Amino acid sequence: MDDLALERYFDDSIANDPSYMVEEELDLQSSLKQSHASSTNSQNSFNLLGETETSGRLGNDLDLSFLPDDLSNQSSSITALATAATNQNAELDVLEDSGINLDDDLHNIAAVKRQVPVNLGSESNASPFCPMTPMTPMTPMTPVTEKSGIIPQLQNIVSTVNLGCPLDLKFIALQARNAEYNPKRFAAVIMRIREPRTTALIFSSGKMVCTGAKSGCSEEQSRLAARKYARVVQKLGFPARFLDFKIQNMVASCDVCFPIRLEGLVLTHQQFSSYEPELFPGLIYRMVKPRIVLLIFVSGKVVLTGAKERAEIYEAFENIYPILKGFRKQ
Amino acid sequence: MFAAGLKCPGCGSSNIVDDDLYCQAQLVCVDCGSVVSEGTLADDPVGGTDVSYSRTTAVTKKPCLNLIKGLERVKEMCRILRLNSEIEELALTYFRQAYQQESFINVTLQRKEVLAGCCVYVSCRQRDWPITLGTISSLLDADQTLLGGVYQEMIKILNIQAPFVNIADVIEAHVQEYKISAQDVTKELAEDSKVLTKRAVALVELAGDSWIVTGRRPLPIMMAATYLAWQSLNPNKHRLRLSLDKFCHLAKVQKRNPAVTRITEMKEVLCKLGRELPWVREAVTRDDVVRLVGDILEHRHTLLTRALRTHETAMLADCPQASALNSPTEEVAPSQHSESRDQTADASSVVQLCPTDRMENQEGDDSHQTEDPEPNWGKRVLFAPPCVIHAKRRREEPPAQNFTGDEEISDSEIDSYIRTPQEARDFALMQKAVSSSDNGNP
Repeated sequence: MDDLALERYFDDSIANDPSYMVEEELDLQSSLKQSHASSTNSQNSFNLLGETETSGRLGNDLDLSFLPDDLSNQSSSITALATAATNQNAELDVLEDSGINLDDDLHNIAAVKRQVPVNLGSESNASPFCPMTPMTPMTPMTPVTEKSGIIPQLQNIVSTVNLGCPLDLKFIALQARNAEYNPKRFAAVIMRIREPRTTALIFSSGKMVCTGAKSGCSEEQSRLAARKYARVVQKLGFPARFLDFKIQNMVASCDVCFPIRLEGLVLTHQQFSSYEPELFPGLIYRMVKPRIVLLIFVSGKVVLTGAKERAEIYEAFENIYPILKGFRKQ
Repeated sequence: MFAAGLKCPGCGSSNIVDDDLYCQAQLVCVDCGSVVSEGTLADDPVGGTDVSYSRTTAVTKKPCLNLIKGLERVKEMCRILRLNSEIEELALTYFRQAYQQESFINVTLQRKEVLAGCCVYVSCRQRDWPITLGTISSLLDADQTLLGGVYQEMIKILNIQAPFVNIADVIEAHVQEYKISAQDVTKELAEDSKVLTKRAVALVELAGDSWIVTGRRPLPIMMAATYLAWQSLNPNKHRLRLSLDKFCHLAKVQKRNPAVTRITEMKEVLCKLGRELPWVREAVTRDDVVRLVGDILEHRHTLLTRALRTHETAMLADCPQASALNSPTEEVAPSQHSESRDQTADASSVVQLCPTDRMENQEGDDSHQTEDPEPNWGKRVLFAPPCVIHAKRRREEPPAQNFTGDEEISDSEIDSYIRTPQEARDFALMQKAVSSSDNGNP
């Protein structure tokens, strides 16, 4: 219900706004439910937008090129929209820099508004729109839940891309130095490049899977690697293109630096956890929202996997951290 | 019946009937009695009837033989383990349900047998009967990994949950296996099973509190606890001299290799507590701690509090801004509630001693980090999981570079991945040579 009301409101307020793309940008960003725990400055927000830009480019025809340049122009309108959202959902803590109130329903578009660099204009602009009630402060509030201060580091990204033309695997294995092909074992060429250090499986249909990117793992790195493989295939004489690049899985890990009583955790969260010390030393926690699988170990190390976007990982970790901390105090 | 359209070759009449001779089909002419045609046994469809078993009515009339065998196996296992009828019924129900599922109907017989074991296992857990997967695997003589896989699949398909098994419950059954009663071994080595169980349970609880149990397989821990309990109940030279190997041989139990490490870990914990005994003058080493085990276990809760307090003061003395001050007091979570209240009362008094230091923890951490690039919090607390204390050293990863994903890709880099024509020719020749030599010498 809130969503519909907000939509209508936005339609009204941006009817005259030349940069109507804001809404599409925000739709894209609705998938980015949470930013870095430490990002409070606009620079990081630019990074976020940059990321959406690159990942969104290939699938959609959205023109996001205006974003970094025109942001200052938009900031006032975005602020206005954000404060309008505040009016709609007074109970949400809007206008936190990037801190997210975890207990709220993050599908709400109002939540998305926070991702927009509101902090650019929030403090300086007295927005003309809002008849503010004292309940909804303009200045960033301290979030209700304490943030962990720990950022999971990405360890591996798996992505797929379609090169768009059938390939002769024997030819590739013959002509490329970094390729191995053993049709009896597996029906694809295994190709590796040095920088970024990744591995790709190239199939005869033209589809390719790219994995790896250990150090400084990121989505952009995976995309660069995939482009390099496509270029190699191109150089070998095939009409390769770069279609439907999609990140399929992201794996991250971090350390909470205190031991965890897995037996206690499996008792209280039985519906989500599976802990069989005879089979695996870690506890397998299947979080429902976001749909991430976490491997929690007694040493305090946590592995998160199954994410399609970085924000899902951060959100999942921020969800599990209070639970784990709760066990520490006991 | 008249077989239509057939003429007897003898008399030409069309009066031909089915006159089967036992199981052999025959068409006989009524008028002259000659056999027109006979079905031979060789005409039966090869490999059984045309209609497969699963489509016949025999499925309902005569249930699958493997299903019956599986159910018998389940009953057998329940009888060996001496389970009550409720668990047996539950196991049989699960087996019937699981057997019909796709992933278990057309699988190897071994897998079906393993499924039977898993049904028994799940039923035991759901009815609070302490049992480990290791027991089932030894009953079935199956690999534990295979067992684990089938078990996970089964609970996913049947959508059931099995409550967690506490190791302290299982150890009683485990100790029963050891044949070291007075009838089996000499007097110096014999031990009453009940006394042994009691002490082993205490040891396992202590191990659980000091992070030895979490995440580890239960069987080696139980073995280590039993061994230490047995040694400490009568620490004469015969017992102390016997290694774990020989002990298992004596008790006719199969030795588990990780048990050796567990023994070392438990002895270390016992040493840490043994040091706090007021009447012990000399230093407590791993070799003599076995004699003190009885006393340690009897007063283990007090000793735990004292050890933590000593550790705290030691940390404070070493470094005024000692980090992780609060963690030792919070990590040790005793198994029983009464002690927990006792302990937190003591612990909180310790915490109140230095409330200001809590604020300085963060700064303390930073200053520590400048000295030690990888602060291992495990080394700073009294009890920590062994995997933290002996953390593996990870190779330092180079710092993250910023990629945009749209960088230019240099031609030279791509060319470095492609063979020169000469190289490709050589490679092709070499491949041919290799494959021909392979064909020549298979």
